[in-house]
Formats: sequence, structure tokens, C-alpha cells
Amino acid sequence: MRRKHEAGWYVAQALKYVLLVFLIIIVIYPIAWMFMGSIKLEKEILRFPPTFFGSKYTFKSYKRVFTEIPMLQYLKNTVIFAGVTTVGAVLFDSMAGYAFARLRFRHKNLIFILVLLTMMVPFQVVMIPMFLEVRYLGLLDTYAGLILPKITSAFGIFMMRSYFAELPKELEEAARVDGCSEMGIFFRIMMPLVRPGMLTLAIFHLMNNWNDLLYPLMMTSDSKMRTLSAGLALFVGEHGTLHYGAQLAGAVVTILPLLVLYTFFQKYFVSSAVSSGVKG
Amino acid sequence: MKKFKDFWFRQDKVAYVFLMPSLVILFVFAFIPLISSAVIAFMHMDIFFSDVHPAGLTNFINAFKDGRFLNAIKNTLVFALIEMPLQILAGLLIANLLSHNSFFNKLCRSVFFIPVVCAMSAIGVVFSLLLDGNIGMVPYLLSKFFGVRDISFFREAQWAMPTVIIMTVWKNFGYTMSILIVGIQGISQDYYEAARMDGANKVDEFFYITIPQLMQSLGFCIITNLIGSLQVFDQVYVTTGGGPQRKTETLVYYIYKTGFSQPYDLGYACAMSVLLLIVILILSVPVYLRIFRPEER
Repeated sequence: MRRKHEAGWYVAQALKYVLLVFLIIIVIYPIAWMFMGSIKLEKEILRFPPTFFGSKYTFKSYKRVFTEIPMLQYLKNTVIFAGVTTVGAVLFDSMAGYAFARLRFRHKNLIFILVLLTMMVPFQVVMIPMFLEVRYLGLLDTYAGLILPKITSAFGIFMMRSYFAELPKELEEAARVDGCSEMGIFFRIMMPLVRPGMLTLAIFHLMNNWNDLLYPLMMTSDSKMRTLSAGLALFVGEHGTLHYGAQLAGAVVTILPLLVLYTFFQKYFVSSAVSSGVKG
Repeated sequence: MKKFKDFWFRQDKVAYVFLMPSLVILFVFAFIPLISSAVIAFMHMDIFFSDVHPAGLTNFINAFKDGRFLNAIKNTLVFALIEMPLQILAGLLIANLLSHNSFFNKLCRSVFFIPVVCAMSAIGVVFSLLLDGNIGMVPYLLSKFFGVRDISFFREAQWAMPTVIIMTVWKNFGYTMSILIVGIQGISQDYYEAARMDGANKVDEFFYITIPQLMQSLGFCIITNLIGSLQVFDQVYVTTGGGPQRKTETLVYYIYKTGFSQPYDLGYACAMSVLLLIVILILSVPVYLRIFRPEER
């Protein structure tokens, strides 16, 4: 059935598209401008009135940011920190979530409630004792110190538990009858079935750790151990009104890897946001 | 050997192997810090452990006498109570416009989610330059088209906080939008058809069907957004550093400054953290009730 529209409907549609196109510009402009600014000449960034395009393009700002601060080292640190944390957290969260969803053992509900309690406590509230603990263990300014506290999450356990709970019960019963060990059931049968859930959780961990600022700021003081996000923030803090081009180049290096991943795994980025809810 | 083999076939035993890594980590890096936080809050302790001793309620009493703490509370509340409604409203209206799966709508959704993916430290750099009173594009356009003087958004006392708020909404509305689109798409089309039969227009549909049916998702977004806003740190750290005139110094920023720069007072910082935790817990309870409900099916 095709409805005939009144004039008002067309006006409303037109307004909707104007509004949305306007919003797209507002969202894209700062990001596009950042890319342009990172390859413009410094004096053209400083020019008044400001312009979007430059007259000449150069990679000088990138060269500067990579020589003035150990940007390559930051990139490496971030890849190691976010990468290892993500892989480890997805594995551990899946294992624990699986146990809570499908295995029978003593004190299951009590343990699960304790896990959930830790989920309610935001990082900002426990950061000082956590810092003292990592310092006491002698792990400040080490990869282990950065990775260990983040290598599992109550939220991830909770999320994987609901993925595992949805699988049909017959699966593991058949496997048990066939003489498969519990480990075998988990790794060979169950884990492959929750691959979408694991990918969603992986993106969740990757995005949070890659972009995290307060945590790496606190856990590292050696400039060789900083992550991109923390290193960039400190670089900007030191060079407030200097080297604008280099600041923008640093910003591009910080967000480009995730943006590239986003174009390929968009679905999982959005679903990790939707299923997470609790940010922080 | 037999015994060893049995172990891997007993789910009541293997379960603990599955749980072990996560439980150890959560115990060491979540549970112990939580307890310690409550203990340190009642101690006099600095980062060098130079003079550690019990302090009773001193830290808490000092907090309520500390103008900077009260100022930080005020700023945090201002941020949370303005940022949250703006982000929810923007997310809701845009989700409502984009709920149908057309090509253009999907494109818009992909674009609006991009800022969510970007690190706040990078976004802060870009906004600082775009909003700069001397070289920024935004003040330039404002003065060109509206005749406003060149405002230095992050550096003027009355503009700094609104600017931090707008930047946060810009970065995060795509997140709320994504959650609400899923919610709206879950509403049965029957409601809308019935309403149309009764002669409802789009505005009626929005207020009498979409909003009431969306109440759960909305409530969830509102409270998680509020909790997140009470912990705001990154935005402030990378743009204003709490200034000008401490107008943007938020609670977590002040806690961080107290603990990790002069005066390195961990006891006092922990006391403030505990106060923050109490507020967050009160707000959290409804959220967790909402999350756990579907689990009990």
C-alpha cells in the first residue's frame, strides 16, 4: 500500500535530511581537519583566517613527533599493552564465564556474586591502592604491571556467561558420552560456537585499553613505557602552544589504528558498545 | 595416572581451573584495592610512606572543610547534570530519525559512531586547536557570521565547562544512539500500525509509543551515563587541566592531583574516592537490577 503524503510530510523529510547532513559535517569536520592539519605546514595551521586546505603538503609534522618524543616506542607499548590484555582477557573471561554458565561446582552462586560486586566498583575509586599494590610488586613501568590488573574483567565474565548459557545442553552431553575431557569440550566445542561473542568482547577490551588515559598515566612514569594516549596527552601538556602540526600528527597516530579496525569490524564495535552499557 | 586423568573429566574440579586466572586477578586487583581504599581513607599516608599513621575521620572532616573539594563536587555535578541530558536527548532524537535500515540511515549511524572509537586525548588536541581564540576555525566562523568576538573557549572561565560538556556530547552521543536504536528496533510494529489507524502522527507515535516502550533502555542509558559522568577525567586532563580558575576541576581530576602530584596525599585522595564510591553505588543499584534481570530467565 502506498500512502499519499501531504505537503507537510515532504517538508519534514527535507528537514530531516538537512539536519542529518549538517550533523555528519559536524562529526566529520574535526576528524578530517585533524588529518589535513597533520600534513599542512606549521605556518598554515597558525594562519588567520584559518583554512581547511593547505597550499602545500608535507610529512614534516610526523617526522617531528617521531623524533621529539619516542612515538614509535609508544605505539609499540600500546600494541603490546592493549594486544596482550585483549587476548588474555578474552581467554580468561571466556573460561570463567563458561564455568559459571555450564559447569556444576560448589559455591557457584556465592563466587558469582563476589565477581559481580567487583564489577560495581569503578576503577577511579580503587586506583590508589591498585597503584600501591603494583608498586609493591615492583611492577611499575613494566608491561606486566600494565597488563596484569586488566587481564580479566567482571563485565567480560558476565557477558561471556550469557553467551555460553544460550548454547543447547545436548552439545556437551554428547561430547561427555564420547569420552571428551572437560577441557576438550570447552576448547573444541564450546569456544568456536561463541566466536561472535568473543570478538565483541575483544573489541571492547581493545578499545578501552587502547584509549585509556588515567590508568597508563598512573602506572607509568618512565617516558619509555608510556602508551600513545598518555604520551600524546603529556606531549600536548608540555608543548601547549608549540608544534601544533606535531600534536595533530600524534593524534592521527593515536586514533588511526582503531579507525582502520573500525572500518573492518564496525558491527563488533557497535555491538560491544551496546552490550557494555557500563563504561569506565 | 588414573587419578590425574579423572580430574580432567570431573566438572566440579575442572570448574576451578577455568575460574582460577580470573578469580586470582580480581581478588588481587579489585577486591584487595577496594578493601584497602576503605582502610587508607582512615589513615594519614603519603606516596613516600614518610609518616603513616591512623587518622580517624580527619580526612573526611577535612574534605568538607576543603573549598577545592567542594568546588570539585560542584563542577562534577554541573558536568554530570548537564552533559547527561544533552547526550541522552541527542542520542534519542537521532536514534528515532535513524531507526529504519535504509542506506542513508546506516551511513549516518556509522559516521556518528566514529568519535566513540577515538581516544579522548586525540579529540582533545583537535578541539583545543579548532576552538582556539587566535587560530581556531570555530571562533572565526562565529565572528564572521554572527559577529561574536573571538572566544577562546577552553581558556575563558565562563566558557570552559560548557565547552568540555559539548565536546563530550560530540564524542559520546553515537554511543547512546547505538543502544537506543537497538531498543527502538525491538518495539513491535503492531503498536505503530494501531496508532496510525487511530490517526496518530509521527510526533504522537514518538511520545506515546517510542518513549514509553523505550523506558528500560532509556533508564539504563541515563544511569550509566550519569555514573560515567561522575568519573569524568580524560576530557579535563587533555584540554583545560582543571582551569581556568578551577572552573573545570572535577572530582576524579582533583583526586588524581592530590594523590599523584603535590601534596601526594594518598589518605585524603582515598577518602574522596570513598565518598565518590558511595554516590556511585547509590546510583548503580537500579542499573544492576536491570542488567541481571534477563539472566534469571
